[in-house]
This record gives sequence, structure tokens and C-alpha cells, in this order.
Amino acid sequence: MTAKNYTKDYKPIDLLAVAAAREVNDGDIVFAGTGLPMLAIMLAQVSSSPNAVCIYEAGSIDGRPIDLPTSVGDSRCAYQASIAAGLTETFYGQLHCGYVDLAFLGGAEIDKYGNVNTTVVGDYASPTKRFTGSGGNPDINSMARRTVFIMVQEKRRFKENVDYITSPGWILPKWPSGEMVPKQEIYGKFFTGGPSAVITNMGVFRFDENGEMYLDTVHPGFTAEQVKDNCSFDLNISRCKGETELPTEEEIELLYNRVDPEGIFLP
Amino acid sequence: MGKPQKISLKEAAALINDGDLLTFSGFTIWRRPMALVYEMVRQQKKNLHLFEVNGGTHTEVLAGAGAIKIWESCWVGHELYGKLGEGVARAQVEGSIIVEDYSHAQVVARLLAGAYGLPFFPTALSMGTDILNPKFDMLGKAGMRDGSNPKIPLKKYDVIKDSLYDKGDILLMPAANPNWALIYASQVGDEGTVRVFSQCYVDSEAIKAADKVIVIAEEIVPDSYLRQEPEKNLAAGYAIDYVVELPWGAHPTGSQFFYDVDADFIREFYQASKSQDAYAKWADKWIFGVDSHEEYLEKLGINRLENLRANSVLGYSTSIKRGTR
Repeated sequence: MTAKNYTKDYKPIDLLAVAAAREVNDGDIVFAGTGLPMLAIMLAQVSSSPNAVCIYEAGSIDGRPIDLPTSVGDSRCAYQASIAAGLTETFYGQLHCGYVDLAFLGGAEIDKYGNVNTTVVGDYASPTKRFTGSGGNPDINSMARRTVFIMVQEKRRFKENVDYITSPGWILPKWPSGEMVPKQEIYGKFFTGGPSAVITNMGVFRFDENGEMYLDTVHPGFTAEQVKDNCSFDLNISRCKGETELPTEEEIELLYNRVDPEGIFLP
Repeated sequence: MGKPQKISLKEAAALINDGDLLTFSGFTIWRRPMALVYEMVRQQKKNLHLFEVNGGTHTEVLAGAGAIKIWESCWVGHELYGKLGEGVARAQVEGSIIVEDYSHAQVVARLLAGAYGLPFFPTALSMGTDILNPKFDMLGKAGMRDGSNPKIPLKKYDVIKDSLYDKGDILLMPAANPNWALIYASQVGDEGTVRVFSQCYVDSEAIKAADKVIVIAEEIVPDSYLRQEPEKNLAAGYAIDYVVELPWGAHPTGSQFFYDVDADFIREFYQASKSQDAYAKWADKWIFGVDSHEEYLEKLGINRLENLRANSVLGYSTSIKRGTR
């Protein structure tokens, strides 16, 4: 195997896309949201994981887009797809029935158990701010075997408790009582997995046996302590194994010339 | 039953009553019945109850006009061209509309139940989330789950224990049967057979779930043409009540193989949607400033529209500039 041509000439968003693409195993069936998740799966498909398959929520199954889609409903998603269907197919015919290995999703706020909020700030019954809402985020996350969240690292976004649990992490409220229990207890035999990684502009995080987030690697240019300072909860940095692997020249070249040559998501 | 009736855009909007429960074709900024939505605003519809999969520009046009009383959905925004549904967000924070959140697949479950004539549809998706928090049942809190409105279920959802294979708890999502499905379709036959190109979103479920269906068709074609390849069709003519033939009827949202999303138009609307004053100015120009869809198209101009026109092989425009390079 030839040595990798690592480069330090990259933008923060490039490393996010590259680190996310490395979460894809060749042959994975991936359910991806709009934006960075699209860059990540498309980069993986043209580099390390040519046999990975992508499903987009709006109805395209295993599309082979030659132009980057700007949203999951885009015509471009369905170009050369094996099936152009709809939401019943993607949510029930693909996700609920158990095909999906990996979900790539975003979030506005996250807690240490991987619970994500994309709905409101404040009390839901009288919120101070509304985000977009759940979309398919909690659905995809609840039944993919692994979920990778791609997020911005800020103290106000990495919270002890999120204001509203839009998307399920590892410890969840069991209704009607609201008692916090492990995800397996709520999903019973429907349980397939849960959040496996969170990738931000500062590091890569994973979850331990108790479903708690820890820092796995820190991006070049940051320290583990700086990452901890950008979390509101007490982040476990004791398992940090060093720096995140740098992008290679080939990966950057593919990102800018093959995946997003028009500069839609990459400035 | 029988063939749908061909009517005008104004007649179509006039059929919809204040307070009706509506659902739509399409997905976020794709294949939305925009011309009909504009006409509903021109006719000053009020107190509308929307039940929909991911909302989009159409939702925000109605929200800005103060036409929505209840919004049952899961998401609203304009994708890359406007990150939030500002009108819905503002109204929810002010308390001027009732927002009832489900997850996207739960919305689909409700439409599936409605489409297939079932009282509910089961799903294990999005369990253990605040969507199911009893404190956040907003229609229940508003006292609207008392059975007086036949379009509002007595409970937001139910949970049962699977007694057949012992898989554990599973959610039951109540059927949604809107008064109207407002559909934009690529082609409709002269006997009403409906075809959409590419992804079908939840268009067929919306058609089947609704009591009455209005289709805004990009073009009306001979039914015999559509019947040569019946496997490509979405709905039979007897499922459709009214048809309006309206080229460019989904603008500024996109229609696969006809035209792309008008990104600049949506960006401009998104900026305007951030305040009531700016929305009013925008609506004066694009909704009240024209009397018909034809006037709207004239105002957009042929160059703008030609730029959006889809490549007939790829299904999308190859002439629009989409990014910064």
C-alpha cells in the first residue's frame, strides 16, 4: 500500500466531510440528509467505499447523481436510481424493514446521550425560537444501525439537557411517565442501534457502553481541553486517542473537482 | 365519481372553505401547487388547517398571509435557499397558530392510514422522543380532541403492545383524511389519469386520503397516451375531482423534467418572510400585484423561465448557476 499524501491545506468544512466519509464502510446502505451528509456519502462512494449505496428521504433509492443535489427532493438525486419512489418506500420499505446501516444527519443541539433537538428553544408549549422541526431525522436515527451526526461545536449546542428531544439518543424518556431509560428498553425487538459518532469542526466523538459521549479524536489545531470548554456538559476526554486523521490530497481533489465542482456547499 | 371536471384557477380556489383541512403534493421545494396557493391568498382564505409532510415555500406563503390556524407537520423550510420556516416559527412563538409536531415518518403513517381506509397505521419510528410527550399534545391542550371536529383524532397517537410476535411497544398513528388534497402533477390525462415524473413523494397517498382532490396539471394529455404505460401512473381519473391546466403552476418550486427550482426567487421570498412588513410588500408585488397566473408569468419574464427549463434528458436545468464556482 502506498503512503497517504496527507495535506494541511484544507478548510474546516473539508475535514468534516472527509471525517464523515471515513465512517462509511464499503457496502453500507446509507440514509443521508441534505448538505454535508451528501458530500460525505458522495466522497465515500468515489474513494473508499465504491459499493456504498445512498437513500434519500424524498424517494430516490441508490441514485447515481452526476450533479450534486441541493436537497433530498432534487431531480438530481434520482438520476440513474434503481428506484424513484416516495416517502412510504424510504421510511417503511427501506428503513423500517431494516435495510439501513448508516444514517448521516445534522442537529442544532445535542446532549451527552446523543439526544438531538431540531425543534424549539425553550418550552415547546411556549417556545422562544423555532427551528425547522424534526423532518425525518428521528425516524432515520431511530432505526439505522449506526447514526453519525454532523454538527457545529458550540457550548450552547452541546448541552446537559436539550430543550426538546427531537431525535433519540441512548437514554430516552419512556412515555407517559417520562422516566429516562436505555433506548433498548423502549424499542424492544425493534432496536437496531443508535448514534455511533458525532463529528464537529473540533473533533470526533463516540459513545461508551453507558451511552455517554466521549471525545475520540481532536482535529489538528485544537486541544482536548478546548473541546471540553466548548461543551456545557462534563465531556469525557480521557479516551481521546490523538488527532483526527488529516485529509489526503486525493480526498480534497475529489471533494472540489468531483463531488462539488459548482461550489454549492463548499465555498 | 367519473371524470374530473376541468375548471379555472379562480374556481378551484373558490371551492376551498375557511377552516378546511388541506394537504399537498410534493416535498419541500419540489412540485408544490404554488399557483393555487397564491390564488387562495388572493381570495383571503382564513383559519386553514394544514396536515402535511415536510412543508416548504407554499406553507410559508400561507403562514405569512395569516391563513393558517393549525399546522400539523414535522418540518418547514426552503432547503438551501432559506434555512427556516420564518412565518410558521413567528406564529408559533406568538401563539397565533397551533403547531402539532409529528416525525416525518409518523406524518406518512397518518396519511397511509387515511389513504388505505384504516383507522390507524402502526410505526416503531421515533419512539422515546418529545414528539410523544403528553404535555406537548397541542390540539389536546386547546380542547380540540373532543370529537367535535371530525378531522381531529381523539388522541394524538396511541401505543399498543405487540400481541402477535411480542416485539414490544409500537405506536398507532391516527388516520388523516383531509378535506382537500391540492396536487401539482406533471401530466394529467383527459380522463384524469395522473402521472408524476421521478420521485413520487407522498402524492398518491395524499390523493387517496383526501375527500376531494384538485390537480394543477403542467399539461393535459390524451389518456390513451398515459395508458400505454400504466405502471408509470399514480392515480386513476375517478380519484380526481377537479383539474386545472396550468403550465409553470409549481413555480418557484421545481418540477422534474419541466423546470428547476427558482433559487433566487425563493431566497428573495425567504428574506421577505422574516417580517410581516416585508412579507406584505412581497405579496403586494407577486400575489396581489397580479390578477392571474398568466400575469405572474409575464412578470417573471421569458428569460428567467427559460433559464429554469429542464434538460429533457437529465430532468433538470443545466443552465442555472447553482454555486459560487
